Amino acid sequence: MPFREKRYFLFFTLPAYILIAIFVITPIIGTVIISFETKNGFGLDNYVKVITETSPEKALVYLRRMPRPPPWGAMIHNFIWIAIHLPLSILLGLVLAYLLRSVRGSSIVKSIMFLGMVVPMIVGGLLIRFMYDEFIGIFPRLFALLGFKGILAKDWLIYPQTALFALILGAVWLWTGFNLTVFAAALESVPTSTIEAAMIDGANSWQIFSRIVVPQLKPAIIIAVIMTVLWDLKIFDIVYVSTFGGPGGASNVLALVMYLYFARALDYGRSAAVSIILALLTLIPGIWFIREVRKSEKG
Amino acid sequence: MSSQGGLLKAAIALSLIALLVSLAAIALLYSQIGALEAKINTLNGKISELESKVGALEQRVGELGKPAPTPQPQEQVELVVIGPWSGKSAEYFSKVIQEFEKKYPNIKIKYLTKRAEDLAQILPVQFESGLTPADVIITPWAWFIVKMAQKGYVEDVSSYVKEDEYIGGVVNNVKWDGKIWGAPFTMWLKPGFWYRKSFFKKHGLQEPQTWDEFVALLKKIKQIPGIKNPIVTGDGVGWPESDITEHFLITFGGPQLQYDLISCKKKFTDPEVEAIFKEKLVPLIKEGYFSEPMEWTSAVERWWAGEYALYFMGTWIAGRVQDPTDIDFFPLPGCKAVVGGTDYAFIPKFTKHKEAAIIFLKYIATEGQAVHVSGPAGKIPTWKGVSVDVIWTPMKSVYNKIKERNMKIVPDLDDTVGGDWQTLFWDQLKLLWVQPDQVDSVLQTLTEQHPACKG
Repeated sequence: MPFREKRYFLFFTLPAYILIAIFVITPIIGTVIISFETKNGFGLDNYVKVITETSPEKALVYLRRMPRPPPWGAMIHNFIWIAIHLPLSILLGLVLAYLLRSVRGSSIVKSIMFLGMVVPMIVGGLLIRFMYDEFIGIFPRLFALLGFKGILAKDWLIYPQTALFALILGAVWLWTGFNLTVFAAALESVPTSTIEAAMIDGANSWQIFSRIVVPQLKPAIIIAVIMTVLWDLKIFDIVYVSTFGGPGGASNVLALVMYLYFARALDYGRSAAVSIILALLTLIPGIWFIREVRKSEKG
Repeated sequence: MSSQGGLLKAAIALSLIALLVSLAAIALLYSQIGALEAKINTLNGKISELESKVGALEQRVGELGKPAPTPQPQEQVELVVIGPWSGKSAEYFSKVIQEFEKKYPNIKIKYLTKRAEDLAQILPVQFESGLTPADVIITPWAWFIVKMAQKGYVEDVSSYVKEDEYIGGVVNNVKWDGKIWGAPFTMWLKPGFWYRKSFFKKHGLQEPQTWDEFVALLKKIKQIPGIKNPIVTGDGVGWPESDITEHFLITFGGPQLQYDLISCKKKFTDPEVEAIFKEKLVPLIKEGYFSEPMEWTSAVERWWAGEYALYFMGTWIAGRVQDPTDIDFFPLPGCKAVVGGTDYAFIPKFTKHKEAAIIFLKYIATEGQAVHVSGPAGKIPTWKGVSVDVIWTPMKSVYNKIKERNMKIVPDLDDTVGGDWQTLFWDQLKLLWVQPDQVDSVLQTLTEQHPACKG
């Protein structure tokens, strides 16, 4: 690139660098500093206290009731969230995108599915609350009609055994639309010739899907996985509106713990420590993503 | 490739320079702000000194029998006021604003609704930056006002709020360092179990006079066709369950127990407290006399529709039903105190209209209370200057019933302790309501996490 072009390039990107420095990098540095600030200067106090916290409302890992029903601790809840939500929403998105690819009017179905992503998550949380309401909620009513009389026919969000799983199920509904859209767009780029060739060679539908389509969707799957994991780690609004992490801390998550330290305990040091832990956790899938992208670039 | 590499290095170098420049600029700004803050603090100190002198002078003038007229701003001022009320409750508060604007035509009020929870999230950050979203802020969380005062964000209002003019203990909640940081507004009460008079008459039910009669009443109600549970449990983030629990604690442990639990002179694991939970409250939950928690406003509708017979709620329920003359309440037999909660107004240090804010604060702490309690807000005054005659009729009967029974008013337990223990308390009680067998674990958690018990 000639020097003159370089100059133009730097000139036009400079505002972005300045804005990123002021509004992204500086607050991150500030948060890191606050997380290490203690009454006696700097230290790891906030991290130690946050990690060893025993309140069911703020514990990252709640050991007292293990291995009994929830709460298990906010961080464990986030991992459970990933373990259930990630495969379900990826699989549903992938299968639906594949099945709907050649169906007439599929765009209407896709639009309906995408509604979950369009509504603000606060509204999504409210919808989830109504979804599980004992009197008007679709799930309890359905189970009541089927003759169930236990927890399943009641409000799922008020029982510690069901609250977390009910929220995860609600999140699957809200998030699947995103994965469906990603996979539907990626499917457009899969050449039909490869599928036709496989059909001529006698491959059945499952073989075509698993051996021809899925491998070609790998970049899209990586994006969907990384976005879903990040979303699961920073989940907040749905929990805040639906259960506020309860009952008894059974549906608590990391972001809510951060909020509780910040807005309730007014303890900014510990809130910053939780946010740093959360950021470090999100770095793991982030680094993996960058490595995968680099690998595919080299390949 | 090499030119791209060079370009990348240049970009990184440039971004680092930008970062350093911005950090240096921020550091410079901070030092300037620090110096400015010191000057402002000195000025504020002088102003406070002057104000207290003026206050003392006003008091002397008052003593001479010539009350000093409240000065009015010369120019039109718009005051931003934040309060917790929305919907009908906001309508009732707007009457207070209207009357104030009539009296002080140069001050216009812009009212915004913000829940206490949201304020706790927004205000500390705004205050830290030397900003305020409002000139007067009203919140039921006295602990929050004190906490903000401790950080130096709140105006001292000791000169304008006379403690002896208010009902006992109300001002004490907003006192710290010998000064008063908030002005009490009106008070709600959580007096007992509300019922529809028509429902009780139809089914031949009577208010219970003893604990056995209360249990018998619940049993009788449970057998009425169409009744889901005798008592409906409201829920939101869990506060309605805490009100019921406090009522049981006060009834069987006496009013002093409420204070002892607040200060942790008694713990939740104390045998006396444990007995109240295990012998009185938990058996009723296990028997299915309480409904499972449901959103508290929809619980009002279901209770009104006759799906439930009793509802433990605050006095504001009177303003939320179609016919307030059809409702009445009874406390648990033998209860000697009722929980009362007050909304407090405070002035942030960073207001630009301090003079007008003081006028408004003084108004709502005194005459404004009379306006508020005369409507269906479901409140009673905390200022002794308000005549009982002006109180809205349904509330007057509540007031008289409490007076007849010689019941004291005690502060709300979780509102007073505050902080994140409050949400823990609510959440643990939500757990207790659906898993009453967890009572030991709940009481242990509440004790371990209580800030006063931690020391």
